[in-house]
Amino acid sequence: MKLQGLNKSFGANHVLQDIDLELPERATTVIVGPSGSGKSTLLRSLNLLERPESGLYQLADLQIDFSKKIPAKQVLDVRKKTGMVFQDYNLFPHKSVLQNVIEGPVQVLKRDKNEATKEAYELLAKVGLKEKADFYPDQLSGGQAQRVAIARSLAMHPEYILLDEPTSALDPELEGEVLKVLADLANEKQSLIIVTHNLFFARQIATKIVFVEDGRIIFDGPTKDFFNEQQKNTRIHDFISSMTFTDIDEGTVNN
Amino acid sequence: MWDIITSSLPQILAAGIKFTIPLALISFAIGLALALITALVRISHRGGAFSIIKGIFRFYVWLFRSTPLLVQLFIVYFGLPYLRIPGVLENGIKFSPFIAGIITFSLNTGAYASETIRASISSVPNGQWEAASSIGMTRGQTLRRIVLPQAFRISVPPLANSFISLVKDTSLAASITIVEMFEVSQQIAAQNYQPLIMYTLVAVVYAVFCSILTFGQGYLEKKTNQHLDQTEG
Repeated sequence: MKLQGLNKSFGANHVLQDIDLELPERATTVIVGPSGSGKSTLLRSLNLLERPESGLYQLADLQIDFSKKIPAKQVLDVRKKTGMVFQDYNLFPHKSVLQNVIEGPVQVLKRDKNEATKEAYELLAKVGLKEKADFYPDQLSGGQAQRVAIARSLAMHPEYILLDEPTSALDPELEGEVLKVLADLANEKQSLIIVTHNLFFARQIATKIVFVEDGRIIFDGPTKDFFNEQQKNTRIHDFISSMTFTDIDEGTVNN
Repeated sequence: MWDIITSSLPQILAAGIKFTIPLALISFAIGLALALITALVRISHRGGAFSIIKGIFRFYVWLFRSTPLLVQLFIVYFGLPYLRIPGVLENGIKFSPFIAGIITFSLNTGAYASETIRASISSVPNGQWEAASSIGMTRGQTLRRIVLPQAFRISVPPLANSFISLVKDTSLAASITIVEMFEVSQQIAAQNYQPLIMYTLVAVVYAVFCSILTFGQGYLEKKTNQHLDQTEG
């Protein structure tokens, strides 16, 4: 996955400025940055939920030029290759957990319903929610809902799973169960791209960190380097210090 | 007094079964279909030549919401027979009273209900559209499988309102010679000189019909809300 010269504005607000980025396969990339830095817009562009005005986007054998109209067929191909997990889950409230998971495979991939159901149970087992298959979203805790959302995106067999602040809407005690599922996926070499505020988690799971500020990429490199860079780079230093007042103490990050 | 009631109630109910109920049911069914089509056209993102179609539907909604229902009935039943276009339409458009009633009530209900449905569709959170398109569903699939089922739940109370209004509005059909319940009660009152009893009696019958609908609304709300009781109260 590769981006070249991506630009996106909302009115006068230039949220993405000439973004060049490579997002490796079978790795976990974590995108961090202050609120309003453009990191979510960047992530959502990868699933084409946002359409940048210009730039090139390469995803496996797909080539997309954002300055041109993207054909529906290509949009569909991109969406098949990229699963999306949202901050507030966005499960379908009128469908059971199982129906949420099989909706994409059956309706979009036109897979056999029994086969999709069988796999859905396996995916739900994987996220620890097999016994909740017949529940409805409103009967789940936030952590459970987010794990269903992860299962729903896995059911499409995407090449990349994009997660937009997947634990930001969760109480701290529920965050752990979602992070554990993500850590398992990372260990299985599922390609993940995660936008998060949780630097402690980023440090544990990320192979690579991308730091975005004011629509520009300030840092793009291995996780270890990011945390070492803070002595030299004041912006990274300021960002890490501003983030570390709750979950992590400075000592943990610095050692 | 009981004599008057027991002798006239069967006639009123017969008129209800023959005209009031069919007028209301058929018009509501057609109106609802029309409303759904209108709402879908109006929320469509399609531009170009399609904008003209959107304009036509917008004009339709404006027209029927901006003019009195009684006047609409008169235009369709008494007015259209005089619509003559030389070479194209020599003899005007003539409908039987019942058909004229169905047409007018359907169009009127459709205009109002389309706004209800449009509002219900827009009240489904944007995240639902995003989640559906993120797994590759088309706009049509998203509407049919994700958005409309949720919009339907939201639209039950206001649509039930429209239906109840329509049942009562069918009394206006008396003015285009349909012998529905109100017309029958007027005719009987003219014979027995008991307008208070007759009009109160027909009012009670309307109230009973509408109460049945209210009960049905409650049932439908309960049914469509069964998985959402914790979040929607």
